[in-house]
Formats: sequence, structure tokens, C-alpha cells
Amino acid sequence: MARRRIILHADIDAFFAAVEQLRDPRLRGRPVIVGSGVIASCSYEARRYGLRAGMSLAEARRRCPRAVILAGHAATYRCFAERVFEVCRELAPAVDAYLDDAYLDLAGAERLYPDAAGAGHLLRERVRARTGLAVTVGIGTSRMIARLASRAAKPDGLAEVPPGAEDAFLRGRPLSDLPGVGPRTAELFESIGLETIADLRAVGARALIRLLGEPGRILHQRACGRDSRPVAPREIPRSISRETSFDAAATDPGAIDAMLAYLLERASRTARGLGLVARTVSVHVDPAGGRRQEASSTMPLPSALDSVLVAAARELLRRVHTRRIGLRRLGVALSGLGLAGGEQLDFLTSAGREREARLTSGLDRVRDRFGHGALVGGRSLILLDRLRRDRYGFVLRTPSLTK
Amino acid sequence: MAEPVPPGLHGAPSMLVEQLDEPVKVRADFQGGTIRPLLFRRGPICHRVVQLNACWEDREGQHKIYFFSVSVAAGDVYQLRFHAGDLLWYADSVMMEA
Repeated sequence: MARRRIILHADIDAFFAAVEQLRDPRLRGRPVIVGSGVIASCSYEARRYGLRAGMSLAEARRRCPRAVILAGHAATYRCFAERVFEVCRELAPAVDAYLDDAYLDLAGAERLYPDAAGAGHLLRERVRARTGLAVTVGIGTSRMIARLASRAAKPDGLAEVPPGAEDAFLRGRPLSDLPGVGPRTAELFESIGLETIADLRAVGARALIRLLGEPGRILHQRACGRDSRPVAPREIPRSISRETSFDAAATDPGAIDAMLAYLLERASRTARGLGLVARTVSVHVDPAGGRRQEASSTMPLPSALDSVLVAAARELLRRVHTRRIGLRRLGVALSGLGLAGGEQLDFLTSAGREREARLTSGLDRVRDRFGHGALVGGRSLILLDRLRRDRYGFVLRTPSLTK
Repeated sequence: MAEPVPPGLHGAPSMLVEQLDEPVKVRADFQGGTIRPLLFRRGPICHRVVQLNACWEDREGQHKIYFFSVSVAAGDVYQLRFHAGDLLWYADSVMMEA
């Protein structure tokens, strides 16, 4: 019989805003927003006014004029997150850490933690003692149940869904709680009278597949509480993306091109760090006063080399940015990710590619040690006069800290 | 293209952050494997640390950098930085209530 899994989901409460409130005690108890252009994180005091991550700052100011708005300190948040994840790694044999949350699999540590809730309390106490941050912990037999449990216990709480209680726990929950149900899907479900996870189950897998395609099958499985995804420190992400917004609409083609190359280099370094190569490159732009334009291109051979990916991205930018209109936002994404391996040999047959791969590997080692900002690529030199830089690279208006 | 963050002040209307990045002289307690800044001199003014709000660390190559957010008697909040490699202290920024 398969051993029952015990998964903990640790989620740092209002992460960026909580760090700012730690750094400056005058902010405690006040509505605090971290973000530029849009809210990246806001304190629970701000959430009482209906503020949420992703909301525009103009809307946030309208709803809560006395909120303190800070641009944020991405480098500081990284340091705090790393300390939280250190605690997680002390407690569990397998940890999968993201930006402000982590999954812990206690398999193999049952003798250390006969009581999962005890492990959860220990985690919360250690994180608070070492960082001052509050962490909410959810415990369940799968990643999804643990995540939903932590969501239900927020803020600064702990909730456990004991084995066998998953069904009762899931049934009455709103559909928007289910991973994979975004605002559009939630709207669609609402329009056909589906409100709870139990409602979705009753519809059946076949009807959901007809409605949504393959994602319908996955949603039905999740609605039934089936989630066997392992907690592994390195899983292959579906995509790696980087994007930034601009204070004023960007119009200089040279600077836009430099930013595109910079974002792409950040994404490709992340891919190389995970031992991955990408087959598909995507670019999206938000023109001032216009609708988002995006395009993607799939290459015959996967790659993680900057020159290959930047060349593909430049071609895509030419397709999506056809008029001389300033850009409000620019982003890139790598997808079709796979482990670097045999396929890499195909394009490494050329001596030039091999030399570039060696050079890239050397540059990555320098950056791993001294930070991405220690070196600036020639394609991005123009940004030196325009953006502030720290050891992590250029300080972007909306930095992306995601995996 | 995005404008660089102004070197002086940015932030919310009610909070002003001034970037400093200045070397400072610091008296600190290094007992018990921890570092606790007690007072620091910035220019002619000596600031007494009345509260250590938060501390965290980062790494630059093989050396550690320690960061401290401290409240001083005047009411402002400073971010101090200690480079373990060359044993130098810096004042990164000061956050003032507008």
C-alpha cells in the first residue's frame, strides 16, 4: 500500500509589505502598498479597503488615500525569502520553494514529526524567530490540499486537513479556490450556475473536457481532490518569464531593444541555472493606449544561448511593435522547456556555438558569485545611463522575482 | 524608456526615502555571534540606535554583507550595511516621515 503523504504549504503573509513593516516600525498597523504602477503586495490593513495585488496604484489611491506606497526593495525580499526557505530545508527532506511560499514533503521524517501540526508550529516559530515574519501553514495529503488549507488559515494561522477529510474540506469551497480556475474561468462557471467545487464534480469530466479541452480533465481531477504532483526541489516549470513596465511610454527603439535583450538574458540565465533549454520564445508589449500584442515562435532546436533566444525575440518584437507608439510594458517568456541534454549536442556541433556555450557558462559562474549586475551585456549597455543598477542587475520598475 | 529612480527622494507622499550609500563610523556589539549596531556617526551628527528593527544578510562573492534597519533617537529609520570582507560600514538610506 502506498504511504500516505504529508505535505506542508508555507506561505509568507503579505510578504513584501510585511518586510517593509519590519524594516520601519512606523508602518506597522498602517495600510502599506509595495509596487510601481500596480500593487505587487499590500498589507492586511490595506486589504481591508479592497486592495489586492495586481490592482493599479491609481485605483488603490482612490480606495485608500492614506496608504503608504513604496517602490520596494527586491534584493531585500530575496534575502528574507532565502532565510525562510532555509528553515523549511532544515525541517523537511524535500522542499519546493517559490517566491513567497514553499511546499515541504515530510515523507521519511515521520519519526521526527509524528504530528504534522507540530512540524507546522515549529516551522512558524522558527521563521518568526529568525526573520520576524509571519508564515501561514497548511497541511494536507497533497500539494493542492495543503495550499487550500493555508489559504483558509490566512493570515498568520495553521490549518490541517487530516487524511480522509479531504472530500468534506473541498466540497463547499468556492470554485475560484481551485488551482487553475482564473477570473475568466470562474466567470464562465458562474454563468452556467457552478459555484462550489462540489458543483464542478457533479458536472463530470466528459462535459468539462468538452467545455475547456484538456484543462477540463485536470480541473475535474483537482475537484475530486486528486493531485499526485511530487514535492521536488527542481521541477520543470511551464514557462520562465520576465517583464517590466515603464514610467513613461518607451519610444526609443534602441532602448526598447536593449531592454528586450536584458529581459531575455535574465530569463535564459534562469533556464540555464535549472539545467533547461527552451524551444519557444514569446514577446508581449502593451502599447500606450492600446491592447496587448503578443507573438511567439517555436525554434527547430531548443536552446539556452542568449544569442539564439535574443535573435528570435527581436524578430518577434518587430512583429508586435509595428507602429511608432510608445510602450507601457514589455515582457518575454521562454516555454517548451526541457532538460538540457542530448538535443544540445545538435547545435553544439558548430565550433562557434560551442565557444559561446563555454563563454556563457563562464559568465553565469561570475554572476552566480557576484550577482547578475556584476556584468552588463553589450546589447544592454544603453540602459546604463537610464536605469539604476545594483548587484542583482538593473532596478526595473516592476521587477519579476518569480521562478 | 523608464526614467532612473531619482537619486534623492522617492516613495509615498507620507514617507520619504533618501538614498545615501555613505561610509559611516559605527560602534557595534559583536557578542554572541550576532552584530548589533549601537550608534553611528554620519558627518558631524552622532546617531544613537534606539531600536534594531530588522537584520538580514546577503553575499558578495565569498564575503557576507549584513544589513540592519535601525531607528535612531531622532525618529528616523536608517538602513546600515556592514561588509564582512573589508570590515566597512555604510549608511544605505534613511526613511523619514514627510
